[in-house]
Amino acid sequence: MLQIRELSKTYANGVQALKGVSLDIPNGMFGLLGPNGAGKSTLMRTIATLQDPDSGSIKLGELDVLADKPAARRTLGYLPQEFGVYPKVSAEAMLDHFAVLKGVVARGERRTLVEALLRQVNLWDVRKRKLGTFSGGMRQRFGIAQALIGNPSLMIVDEPTAGLDPEERNRFLNLLAEIGEKVVVILSTHIVEDVTDLCPRMAMIAQGQVLLSGEPVEAIHTLDGRVWRRSVANAAIENYKQQFTVLSTRLAGGKTIVHVLSDVKPEEGFEMIAPDLEDVYFGQLRRQAATSRAA
Amino acid sequence: MTRMFREIFSFELRQQLKSPLFWMIALAFAALAFAAAGSDSVQIGGGIGNVHRNAPYVITQWLIAFTLLGMFLITVFVAGAALRDFDAGTAELFFATPLSRKAYLGGRFAAGYLASIGVLVVVAIAILMGALMPWVDPARLGPTSLGAYVYAFGVFVLPNLFFLSAFLFLLATLTRSMLATYIGVIAFFVLWQIAVVATGVRNLEHLTLGALIDPFGLNAFQVATRYWSAQDRNTRLPEIAGVLLANRVIWIAIGGAMIATTLAFFRPDHEGLRLWRRRRRVSEVQQVTSTNRTNVLPPVVLRTDGAARWTQFLKLAWFDTRGVLGGVAFMVMLAFGLMNLGSDVMLSNELFGTKVYPVTHLMTEAMDGSYKFLLYIIVAFYAGELVWRERSGRISEVMDAFPLPDWIPLLSKLTAITSVIVLFLLAGSVECAMYQLWRGYHHIEAGLYLSDIALATLQFTLIAALALFLQVIANNKFLGYLLIVIYFISGIALSQLHFDHHLYNYGSAPATPYSDMNGYGHFLAAHLWFSAYWACLAAALLVIAALYWSRGNAKGWKERTKIARARFRGPSRALLAVSLAGFVVLGSWVFYNTNVINRYIPSDLAKQQKADYEKLYRQYKDLPQPKITDVKADVDIYPHEHRFDVRGHYVLVNKTGKPISDLHMRLAVDNMKLVSVQFAPHEVVSDDRVLGYTIYRLRQPLAPGASMDFDFVLQYRSRGFRNTPDDTRVVDNGTFINSDWFPRFGYSDVPQLTDRNDRRKYGLASEVRMPKIGDQAARQFNFGGRDADWVTFETTVSTVPDQIALAPGYLVREWTDHGRRYFHYKMDKPILNFYSFQSASYTVKRDTWNGVSLEVYYDPQHPYNVDRMIYAMKKSLEHYSAAYSPYQFRQMRILEFPDYEQFAQSFPNTVPFSESIGFIADLRDPDDIDYVYYVTAHEVAHQWWGHQVVGADVQGMTMLSETFAQYSALMVMEHEYGAAKMHKFLKYELDRYLSGRSGETVEEMPLAFNENQDYIHYRKGSVVMYALKDYLGEDVVDRALKRYDRETAFQQPPYTTTTQFLADLRQEAGPQWSPLIGDLFEKITVFDNRVVEATARKRADGKYDVTLKLHAAKGYADGVGKETPGKIDEPIDIGVFARAPDGKEQNEKVLYLAKRAVADGDSTITVTVDSEPYEAGIDPYNKLIDRVSEDNRMHVTLQ
Repeated sequence: MLQIRELSKTYANGVQALKGVSLDIPNGMFGLLGPNGAGKSTLMRTIATLQDPDSGSIKLGELDVLADKPAARRTLGYLPQEFGVYPKVSAEAMLDHFAVLKGVVARGERRTLVEALLRQVNLWDVRKRKLGTFSGGMRQRFGIAQALIGNPSLMIVDEPTAGLDPEERNRFLNLLAEIGEKVVVILSTHIVEDVTDLCPRMAMIAQGQVLLSGEPVEAIHTLDGRVWRRSVANAAIENYKQQFTVLSTRLAGGKTIVHVLSDVKPEEGFEMIAPDLEDVYFGQLRRQAATSRAA
Repeated sequence: MTRMFREIFSFELRQQLKSPLFWMIALAFAALAFAAAGSDSVQIGGGIGNVHRNAPYVITQWLIAFTLLGMFLITVFVAGAALRDFDAGTAELFFATPLSRKAYLGGRFAAGYLASIGVLVVVAIAILMGALMPWVDPARLGPTSLGAYVYAFGVFVLPNLFFLSAFLFLLATLTRSMLATYIGVIAFFVLWQIAVVATGVRNLEHLTLGALIDPFGLNAFQVATRYWSAQDRNTRLPEIAGVLLANRVIWIAIGGAMIATTLAFFRPDHEGLRLWRRRRRVSEVQQVTSTNRTNVLPPVVLRTDGAARWTQFLKLAWFDTRGVLGGVAFMVMLAFGLMNLGSDVMLSNELFGTKVYPVTHLMTEAMDGSYKFLLYIIVAFYAGELVWRERSGRISEVMDAFPLPDWIPLLSKLTAITSVIVLFLLAGSVECAMYQLWRGYHHIEAGLYLSDIALATLQFTLIAALALFLQVIANNKFLGYLLIVIYFISGIALSQLHFDHHLYNYGSAPATPYSDMNGYGHFLAAHLWFSAYWACLAAALLVIAALYWSRGNAKGWKERTKIARARFRGPSRALLAVSLAGFVVLGSWVFYNTNVINRYIPSDLAKQQKADYEKLYRQYKDLPQPKITDVKADVDIYPHEHRFDVRGHYVLVNKTGKPISDLHMRLAVDNMKLVSVQFAPHEVVSDDRVLGYTIYRLRQPLAPGASMDFDFVLQYRSRGFRNTPDDTRVVDNGTFINSDWFPRFGYSDVPQLTDRNDRRKYGLASEVRMPKIGDQAARQFNFGGRDADWVTFETTVSTVPDQIALAPGYLVREWTDHGRRYFHYKMDKPILNFYSFQSASYTVKRDTWNGVSLEVYYDPQHPYNVDRMIYAMKKSLEHYSAAYSPYQFRQMRILEFPDYEQFAQSFPNTVPFSESIGFIADLRDPDDIDYVYYVTAHEVAHQWWGHQVVGADVQGMTMLSETFAQYSALMVMEHEYGAAKMHKFLKYELDRYLSGRSGETVEEMPLAFNENQDYIHYRKGSVVMYALKDYLGEDVVDRALKRYDRETAFQQPPYTTTTQFLADLRQEAGPQWSPLIGDLFEKITVFDNRVVEATARKRADGKYDVTLKLHAAKGYADGVGKETPGKIDEPIDIGVFARAPDGKEQNEKVLYLAKRAVADGDSTITVTVDSEPYEAGIDPYNKLIDRVSEDNRMHVTLQ
């Protein structure tokens, strides 16, 4: 269980990235959902001991992560949002190098581990190829491989599927799901489907604050019967925004479709739909925007 | 922890060794080292003279130089190691592991440091191998000493690289930017240059400071070995003590402190991971906006006409120019260049520490040497940057789809580079102009700055065109850089290999010698023709580059050629045809000029010819030849046509005891034509028009004592232009022709090869020495040449009406006729066969002294020191006439000539004086040495020593002319300025003698037997004669000189030698001085005098007892520097001085100065003085030749 209490962080340029974030994260997949600039990466990095918060605490079971960073590093695996590779080094050599740095010092043990990891992420066939030749999906899989070294009890995965094509994304998510229930896996993303598909628990974070935390299914239930849909003309969108709580507008088949949150049918032409996590997500963001406008 | 360290270290080392850049740099350095070790054509840190190629000293110096040279390249390894994870973006992966900071930094640092050491090891191996190559002369090698390498690495290389690596690592880690690191390195390098070079070995006051503040130990090393002879350098290495040890300890400690700082400040967390400038702003959450389309865009017209294209071109050119100017790399080079230029103009152009007026052409020359070279880097670098600008910015695909024609980007980038060149040069010119104003000099010739900028811009734009072409064709930025670097290197290599014709060296053109008197003269034409030729090729290259300009994603040669072919239509075809036609036509025109109507002689062929001359004709060296006794010449100078005619008449006399049947005549061949020659009936045995040696056989041999008329007509014509600038002696303003151009007789060794390596290469004996002093046969000839003793001289010189023509002799008549101005000169006494003809637009200043007319002919731009020269002439004539003998002429004239050469020369009653050696000296500061006064006095003295007293052509000959002239001038100086000022001067002379010694490649000779060795007859001569006068008294020395002059002036052969003078001197001085005279003149005597300790105690009566602990020793050296100890048998000056609190040495008060007997080795002397002493010393005025001149005086500590 990962306990995060009152984590705050303000950057030198005045931006408040985290404002008193508190979360309880048990074993298993945990989704962290939020828009760009929400503070997700800051939170991820702080948990990965790469950044110190201004205040707050993080405890992994009995371990105080902020106070004993080396111990934390021995038991975590981190896949950053953007990471580079040494282009001229092979996957196998790089993974072997990281293994030593994580503490797998014995040669035989390490060789077995590297092989197992590469097979697990399906890079064994290309282990001798230079990392500079890898496609985006292959690099992400390599990233997972290095994060998995040493059977970490905490995995921090930051925006891993952005930029992957659908097949690569599926493969990656399957990998994550395999990791098992004994491990805390925090998956930070702005792609709502990733959370819906994978995570039994989630939190939504925006502007440094936690908006919602709990099980996705329950969050969706709170919107049952309150989400309505209609196809509208472009010119009318502004009117709808003024009159109703518009969750989203998008194009589908060339027409503009608007989702509205309302306890009752807003007007003729709207049909009720079963809500999904995306509606929950947009709803939370609207509400937060309204609150900060009022403030 | 150590396991982590080892892992990081070994991984990083593997990365370094796998990088092709590492091997490229290592091999480039190795090639350089190999070349330097194996030949003289590559020199690192100056030539090495007589020292063995593989002497410990040389090896150490080279290795230090390579650590210095490597400064910019080692950055790649060390900073690369520090920045590896930041550049690759892998940092977070590493720091999320349990890896400790120390292990991470330590591992990266150690690997970078080791990689740098690796490069130096490769260099050391290259040096070792270079010396072992079979083409190296074994006489230049000593035993291979591995100990020297161990010493050099241990004392210099490893600590230097340690400091450098620590510094670079600190910079890179803190700034997280390779560019910022390079800026730091360049700033460090500039500061190093200023601080260290300014306090370096030349500047005698700050030696210790200079030795300590140099992180590379170069100054300390040079201070420790300053006065080492060649022998010392071949065998010894400085001991690791004193300043050297202090320096090493200090800088290793600083290196360690830097590493500690890096460790302390290193932040692996997120904020530390980004350069503060580059931190992305955490963006505010955007409102979700609607997707309706309510905005309507205004309509515009897209134009494609000529005016539109012009506007587009200008805009793009300006955009690219701004891109370059705003780039940090350019800023860095500009700053570096300005600093380098600034320190150059401030520290150079000095003689005896006295500066010259900062005339504009000296400023532009300073820019040539220390500023313009940066443009090579700027042009090459930015050609790549600009060609790749759009692709690096990932905007190329967008811009390639615009309707812009292909040629506009290429042309705009060329224009951008050209604009940058102009602005760069303007900045330098402005800096120079500001310096001129700061020095109080207001004649800023803006026109000259601008024409210099124009010429340089032309040159560098040609290179820019080539660089752009290569970048486009290579289609790979680094390949493009490699190609342009290859071009630069090949330029250097070609000239080393004697391929020096400008027709095949892209972008090269003959130099344009400039002098204030003559401006650019007629030398610009050649330069511009060659430049036009290359400009045509550059245009053709640009057309091809436009065809291959990258647009879209075509890769591979075939695809691009297809596109090029499609683009190759009407306008391109026409342009290419025109430029290639221009190239061929201009090339033919140039070739016609340089190779057809003139002779082109590459430098190795020139050397070959000199060797042939010696091989063919030296056999006639001792062949009896007649001597010239009478010279009459009509010389017509046409300055603006660069030609002159001579109608000459000699009278030749057979002064030997045997009949002479063969007449060997030497005459210059370049541009010179012997139109006709008329003398007794003869046949032409051989006429070598290549080497200029003709042998005539007289039908009737010339009987002993008989004379013969010899008439000749010469024409000197310069036609067209040559590959190297034309002769600078026949120019529009400032023509200076001398008697060497007239026919001469018999073999002369002046045209021979002098460099030992060259001589060996062409199969000649490695050196030709002067005849020994005892050689009686050689005494038949004087230093002026073998073909005359004294001649009567008369000439009529003509020139254009607005110039004055001068030759030795009194002006008999001057007239104008048919647009020509004539001057008839005649000497009333015989002179040496050594005369000159000068013509220029002079202003004249006249004065008289005692019936002797004094004249200075000068260029109106240089009036600064004319009065000084007249004053100096008066004082000198006055002193010499009284001390030695009456002046033999009724006039004395000084004539200015252009700056193409920098000397002054004494002809009979005529002294040509170069612009740069006195006319522009800045004597406004009374503390500076007035070398105008000195050089004038020296040249006037030659009228006695050289034109009255004439030495035989044997060893010691130059002592009789140069050394005596030095002494005479010294005395005139001392009477004018006082003895206190002489110390500064003598110290310079002493130091220059000592450093000249260590550059001797053949054999050092004692003063009386020296073989025309400058550092002996000028430098040592000054010191020796002053010491002589100090011991014997000026009266005695002058008496000896007066007597000697009386005995030998105007003599006929056999001519006098130093033996005769020394006999006279010994007689006048008395037998007790004979040993001293021997030490000064006949041996190489070197003292080692120093003050070990100087203390003083105040007495009850107010006086002070000064106690001096001294060390004194005398040694005698042989020709290669090996010393044997001697005994001190002459008294030496002991001095005690007082000084006002801020006083300068030349204003000090002498409390005590007397010659005392000093024991050999260590001794103590006590002296009582009346007031508080400041300094005390043994031989405090450096009158004796001493290994080290600074340690003769020491500050007195009061007890």
